[in-house]
Amino acid sequence: MPDAHIVTVGTSPFGRTDLTGRDLFSVAITEAFAGLPDPAAVVDALYVGNQSEAYEHQIMYGSLLAEWAGLRHVPAERVEGCAAAGALALRHAVEDVRSGRHDAVLACGVEKMTAGGTTGATDALSAAFDRATEQRSGVTAPSQYALLAQRYLHETDATEADLAAIAVKNHANAAANPRAMFRSETTVETVLESAYIAPPLKLFDCAPVTDGAAVALVAAEHVVDALGVADTVRVAGAAAGANNLAVADRNLTVIEGAAAVTTEAYAQAGIAAADVDIAEVHDAFTVCEALLAEAAGFAPRGRGYESALAPAERSAGWTDVALSTSGGLKARGHPVGATGIAQAVEAFEQLTGTAHPDRQVAGAETALLVNEGGVADAVTAAHVLTVA
Amino acid sequence: MSEYTGVPRPTAPAELTSDSPYTLPGFFAALAEGELLAAVCADCDTRLIPPRTACYGCGGRDLTTAAEPHTGTVVSYTEVRTAPPAFADQVPYTVAVVELDSGAKLTGRLTAAYDEVAIDMSVRLVVRAPTAAERELGLSYETEWPVHTFEPV
Repeated sequence: MPDAHIVTVGTSPFGRTDLTGRDLFSVAITEAFAGLPDPAAVVDALYVGNQSEAYEHQIMYGSLLAEWAGLRHVPAERVEGCAAAGALALRHAVEDVRSGRHDAVLACGVEKMTAGGTTGATDALSAAFDRATEQRSGVTAPSQYALLAQRYLHETDATEADLAAIAVKNHANAAANPRAMFRSETTVETVLESAYIAPPLKLFDCAPVTDGAAVALVAAEHVVDALGVADTVRVAGAAAGANNLAVADRNLTVIEGAAAVTTEAYAQAGIAAADVDIAEVHDAFTVCEALLAEAAGFAPRGRGYESALAPAERSAGWTDVALSTSGGLKARGHPVGATGIAQAVEAFEQLTGTAHPDRQVAGAETALLVNEGGVADAVTAAHVLTVA
Repeated sequence: MSEYTGVPRPTAPAELTSDSPYTLPGFFAALAEGELLAAVCADCDTRLIPPRTACYGCGGRDLTTAAEPHTGTVVSYTEVRTAPPAFADQVPYTVAVVELDSGAKLTGRLTAAYDEVAIDMSVRLVVRAPTAAERELGLSYETEWPVHTFEPV
């Protein structure tokens, strides 16, 4: 099986912008292909993670971005899986290269979320919930995750202040990430004093509505050699899995889908959770980082909320992994379909030693990415990346 | 018991009509008559709401419909303060995951103020007609579908 490598990456700025989705992609691919041949000379196929046509009234994002990249008559398609769309696109690219079907595949993600304001985003995201039972009950993304958070606080020793500390950590990380939406630090007091959106979750527990695009070129080793790129990252594990759509039909505090795909990704990579140096987990809401730290095997059950603590201060059974070094969805920003690729961009920078010095994890060699869609593990994709 | 309960999984495609409790129109027709239907798996006892033709618990298809109990307890809850357009005029409102006495779980609105709700609180299923706003913003086939909610016991 050929090894899949991430050869180059690029993103747009993350935030509110007057650029459209395709423009944001142009920004991202311009960064990624600086100093490389034209995309048309390299790319054999393209996948685009994109949550919703509700924002721009635009489907056919595969054709559109292929065209915008100067590609013609190549396989190109949109991948849909709500907030997991980006990592699902990345996994398709990885599997195409591993299988030998293609030599170089562009994994993309794009979302233009601010177009319809908060109401538009609330409505577009609500389409991710089971229409027959959940949508008819008036649930929203924050309220769905609040159901998990409320139960987690009930079952564990975690407090709202513990969740706030996760937001504070991720804001501090984002302050050292030039790509991030919020490059400002915050405090536990500020988080706790922010308005409840869906209790126990407050405004500062929630990732923002974000415009953005990200790309990662996935290629076989001979392409890396031909391009003469020195620093790449190897995709050592790639896994995805679906779970029941309705939240009530899943375990609220044991994210079984994330446990399954991380276990599979670790097995492919021949590693254990303790070997992971950095992890981008899907902190769309602060509680997610706690839940996913447990599901990924970094923290003992009920102790994932200690993710903001320094390794020496965490409970026994925790690994020394650094979580959400990019600032996470919370502070880097969460352009839904692009988030899975943005996670890979952070891992690429960390593992090639090119992250901003204020957030670079010294000696980082192994990264885990967990990207989930449709409330927790309705669908989850996990990737293990290692230094090449 | 009704025409909708005790129904085995249809094995012929032609049986899966809007009269069948294994389709959403059939499920909501039963709900309008006050029956919350599940398909119960003979192999692993998972109770599937609404009924469908395969069990997510074990993959089996030996299923029979049953009416679920209307009483249960709150597993988790929250309050929606910013709602989708169809519910914008109703905020704030409480939403809960409820475990019915059968063990099946279901999300629904809970007609109690957030501050008056607690985990493990006893609740009861109520079936109501959709509001005018819900009808207006519903899809063409949904306008007459009833809405399930929960109320404190």
